[in-house]
Amino acid sequence: MLSKKSILSVDDLDTGEIMQVLESADSFMDISRREIKKVPTLRGKTVASLFFEPSTRTRISFEIAAKRLSADIVNFSAQASSLLKGETIMDTLRTILSMQVDLLVIRHRDSGTVKLMDSVVNVPVINAGDGKHQHPTQALLDIYTIKNHFNRLEGLKVALVGDYINSRVARSCQSLFEKMGLEVTIVAPAMLLPEDWSGFKVEHSIDRIIEDTDILYMLRMQFERQDRKLYPSVREYNRYLSLDMKRLSRMKKDSVVMHPGPVNRGIEIYDEIMELAKEKGNNILIDEQVTAGVAVRMALLYLVLGQS
Amino acid sequence: MKMENAILIKNGFFFNSRQNKIVPGDIYIENGKVAEIGKDISYAGEDVSVIDASGLTAIPGLIDMHVHLREPGFEDEETIASGARAALKGGVTALAAMPNTNPPADSEQLIKYILTAGSATDCRIYPIACLTKGQEGKEMTEMGILSEAGAAGFSDDGMPVMDGKLMYEIMKYSLQFGKPLILHEEDLYFSGPGLMHEGEFSTRLGLEGIPSLADEVMIARDIMLAEKTGARIHITHLSSSGGVELVRQAKSSGANISCDVTPHHLFFNDSILETFNTNFKVKPPIRSRADQAALMEGLKDGTIDAIASDHAPHLDTEKNTTFKLASFGTTGLETFFAACYTRLVSENGMGIEKLIPLLTEGPAKILGIEKNRIEKGHRACIALVDTDAEFVVKREDFISKSKNSAFLGLKLRGVVRYTISGGKIVYGKK
Ligand SMILES: [Zn+2]
Ligand SMILES: [Zn+2]
Repeated sequence: MLSKKSILSVDDLDTGEIMQVLESADSFMDISRREIKKVPTLRGKTVASLFFEPSTRTRISFEIAAKRLSADIVNFSAQASSLLKGETIMDTLRTILSMQVDLLVIRHRDSGTVKLMDSVVNVPVINAGDGKHQHPTQALLDIYTIKNHFNRLEGLKVALVGDYINSRVARSCQSLFEKMGLEVTIVAPAMLLPEDWSGFKVEHSIDRIIEDTDILYMLRMQFERQDRKLYPSVREYNRYLSLDMKRLSRMKKDSVVMHPGPVNRGIEIYDEIMELAKEKGNNILIDEQVTAGVAVRMALLYLVLGQS
Repeated sequence: MKMENAILIKNGFFFNSRQNKIVPGDIYIENGKVAEIGKDISYAGEDVSVIDASGLTAIPGLIDMHVHLREPGFEDEETIASGARAALKGGVTALAAMPNTNPPADSEQLIKYILTAGSATDCRIYPIACLTKGQEGKEMTEMGILSEAGAAGFSDDGMPVMDGKLMYEIMKYSLQFGKPLILHEEDLYFSGPGLMHEGEFSTRLGLEGIPSLADEVMIARDIMLAEKTGARIHITHLSSSGGVELVRQAKSSGANISCDVTPHHLFFNDSILETFNTNFKVKPPIRSRADQAALMEGLKDGTIDAIASDHAPHLDTEKNTTFKLASFGTTGLETFFAACYTRLVSENGMGIEKLIPLLTEGPAKILGIEKNRIEKGHRACIALVDTDAEFVVKREDFISKSKNSAFLGLKLRGVVRYTISGGKIVYGKK
């Protein structure tokens, strides 16, 4: 049983708990490979997933994870924009809770909102992404994917490439990877970095790290979601930050490419690489990340709910 | 004849403004004024309300030069009457009301309305008029007519005038009337969608940042304009070390400039935002530990002239929401003295005789209004405080219509037991 009931941030887990998550994810990975992909572990438990920001991938991943553990899962999704001010979020929360659910999976567009909601409910909450703040399950599935591939974590060099400032994935991964002994470099231009990056190892171009990195982690670049359109153009992005075939060929043997998905083809990663990724035996782990997502989320649901 | 308004404060101490220290003494108040101060005053008779002030200190009624009373327009958050009651509970007997009401206080009619409604309360209310019509930053208001109607100063508070040329013209014209221009300094392009101080914590929390530069580029601009025009400017709610330094330099080169700071900027730093508690969402944002220390330093070396609460009442629905959607502001009137006393005197060893002028003479001088002093012949506006008593700030204890206090749950030292305004006991046990 995890020592904290809710998982709001990667910082809520110590190394021991993280290893526990990774170990149980291993056994749930086996279940997912079976003919009958279902265990009765969470029979009788009800999970509600509340998505106040559109997402298919994460929502479905949690849904499959819950179902494979025999939990019932109900989905509620609402565009945050279609809700009026906060009261309505709290009303929604009250309504769902009065239906006696055992755990909430929450995603919200605004940073801190999942923590706010957690503070008013008496059931455990798993943060499925809040604003630009945290996305702990993504970071956990990423570390699981890395561990599975390399069979170790300590000392691996990872580069997080692109839009750091607007990315909850970047924040969560940076923190978790460092905690697990990886060497993290952020590759981003000034306007996609925090004002003060003196505590980070920073490079401004992918070319500076491409030959030396073990894990090239490409962050989503959403031009339309910047607060102000500061980044000049896709062409400029391609020049310094995108992964094309030429750069891919410069990566060292046994190195891998990761991306939290969905990939903006032609921005973070070029089309031909995505085509290459469909073939077996490549070093592009994007599909492996998705598969690991289900197992890691099963592990989290189990550890939070299963032994109570 | 029964004298309703005769009050005798016995067995206590009081702040002597001339000697600038706390001394023992009884105070006798009659007909609204301090009639006598001395040792062992005794006026027998049931016509005198006697306050046993053992353990209490009489300080001049506080003057809060930055308050949002919300009337007209937002009476569900606060009214002139409810705000005045909250003020008196906090020991504040005079306040300046900011003009961002609905409609904004940009007309003679509205200034008169606030004065009339204010005079029905026991607190002296000084209306501040808008700098620009509708606070739109496009055209200056009728500064002459508004001054004559009773505006104590001019401000667009949260809607800073981004047009430098217009600000320059306003400053030149303001010289004709001698009222201070109270400036909320924020470059709106820099602050943009920002929610908190830009720094280590905003990065970690994924909350959009407001850099110190947002304040500082505007402070620098307005200092240049004030130096050129000779206008009387007041920078309200300084928040950053750079801002303090700009004012310090301007003062040393002789500019006609003053400034204030809020209790919440002195009390907190941006690490508190880790709670995502929306009561800490304020503008300007609560800045870093280094900025907090610089504000303290500014108070100590006299760069900062006053402390003002920026009392900004908001409904629960405006605060009990996501950090992004929540309104900016914290209330401050009822915790005003206690927050200042706790932070400055108890925690930082500042003498109370240094604190009191920041809450009384300082703001009075900036606004050019009547000073509150405990002196024979002065209007009796006095707060009786217990500086040994502590209390926990609780939601249910607030009498303001709004409860959005950054100080909720904190233990503060310095309890206002009685407030006397115009010679009447207006708060405390009668
Ligand atoms: Zn302001
Ligand atoms: Zn204000």
